[in-house]
Amino acid sequence: MQHRTQYIGFTSFLLATLSLLAVSCKKDGYSLPTAANKLQDEAIKRTLGPNIVGQQIEFAYAMAIPSSKGKLASCTAEASIAGAAGTWMENKSYFTDVNNSGKDTGVLVGSPYVNSGATTTVTYTVDTSAATLRYYYVIPEEARGKTVTITFTAKSSDGESISTKMGPYTISNMDMTLNMKVTNKTQMYISIGDMSVYDSTGAAAHAGSIDLVYLYRTYSTSTFNHALVAPAADPMYLPDVILPAGVNRDAKLLKVFNLRDHNLAPDEQYGDTFIDDVDFQKIDLTGEPDYAINLKQDAGVWVETADGKYRAYVFVNKVATNTATLSMKRYTLGNGK
Amino acid sequence: MKPNIIVALIGLLMAGTWAACGKSIPVDEDGLLITTRTDCYVSSFELLGTDYVSVRSGTATVDTTALKINVKVLFGTDLTHLYPQFTLAQDCKLTPKITGFVDLSDTLHPKQWTVISGNRKIQKTYSVVVSVQSR
Repeated sequence: MQHRTQYIGFTSFLLATLSLLAVSCKKDGYSLPTAANKLQDEAIKRTLGPNIVGQQIEFAYAMAIPSSKGKLASCTAEASIAGAAGTWMENKSYFTDVNNSGKDTGVLVGSPYVNSGATTTVTYTVDTSAATLRYYYVIPEEARGKTVTITFTAKSSDGESISTKMGPYTISNMDMTLNMKVTNKTQMYISIGDMSVYDSTGAAAHAGSIDLVYLYRTYSTSTFNHALVAPAADPMYLPDVILPAGVNRDAKLLKVFNLRDHNLAPDEQYGDTFIDDVDFQKIDLTGEPDYAINLKQDAGVWVETADGKYRAYVFVNKVATNTATLSMKRYTLGNGK
Repeated sequence: MKPNIIVALIGLLMAGTWAACGKSIPVDEDGLLITTRTDCYVSSFELLGTDYVSVRSGTATVDTTALKINVKVLFGTDLTHLYPQFTLAQDCKLTPKITGFVDLSDTLHPKQWTVISGNRKIQKTYSVVVSVQSR
């Protein structure tokens, strides 16, 4: 009797386990999804990183309607703050050409874009039921420090309309300038405030805003090479430099290497970092020196101006004998500390 | 008969567990293993700048008799923000710990670090003497 009870118990347990396994392994049936029988859309933001005034934010907006219902009529992007000059929408729809190394290939589908206030429109000129258009919003000065939303709207020939709102996107307080050429003994005076490079005549005219001096020196006894030095630094870091009258400001400099900001070094293979407002807000340059000697390509220098008004990151894109190419992101802290 | 075997097995298991836990592994206050090694020296020395790139203008000289490390740095090196890196003999540790940039600008009073041997019984204090390359 006892053996029989054990047998029944064991058999029940085995059956329960097998049933559980069978249930857990059961595949759900798959069927092809059915497309909604109406106008549909989808938008993505293609640009990464901080949104900087003067730079573009790129979107791709896809829209489609079953061909039995009609065709696409128009596509509109409306920004909450009108884009700056250069804002536009492509009238080509792109596809990935598998026969051409996967390149994006455009097909003309509409009339050239029309900007009207904060709205950009492309009207379809071909009979198409699906397209993806790209929209390039150039960030205007009035959007600095604010947020921007973009509303995409597609209309079809049957009178349908559909919209997608993108954002809000915070617009950075930073400014950016790329590829400033500096040259030893001539174009060597850098103003963070003006985001410009001057020669000695220009520096004399903007004496109050010169924050850095670019030098290139070679010595057999030391490795000086490319350097950024504040005008008020110890003269031993400004060898053979006669500063124009009034050029005497100080700055704090922190030398770094391999901080390759993607905005400042767009051509760099490894430029995958973005410096944003928060980086400037958090960095502490207290006690840093007023010079950075022996700068190489891909080096960078965090700078704080003597009046505490600006912090900047100056990236060394390229160097050659007697010259360098610099790019800069600048953040305004306020009216001085 | 059967219960006796089970009791014996349990007893054996408990004895084994007690024996395994009986030995205490000697570790110091940092959780590092205290070994029997008596080696106590710095084998090499590196000095990095704020960009984490070496600022040495040549190889650092480690004098294990005078307990002095002499290092010459490049012209323009900011001596207030330097990151020293010591390579020590096996099982040694360093005190004080280096947790960030160190100010080595007071060249008249070189900073000191103490190497402690693997058995934690020998201590040797090294001075780091920094000089700057002339322009």
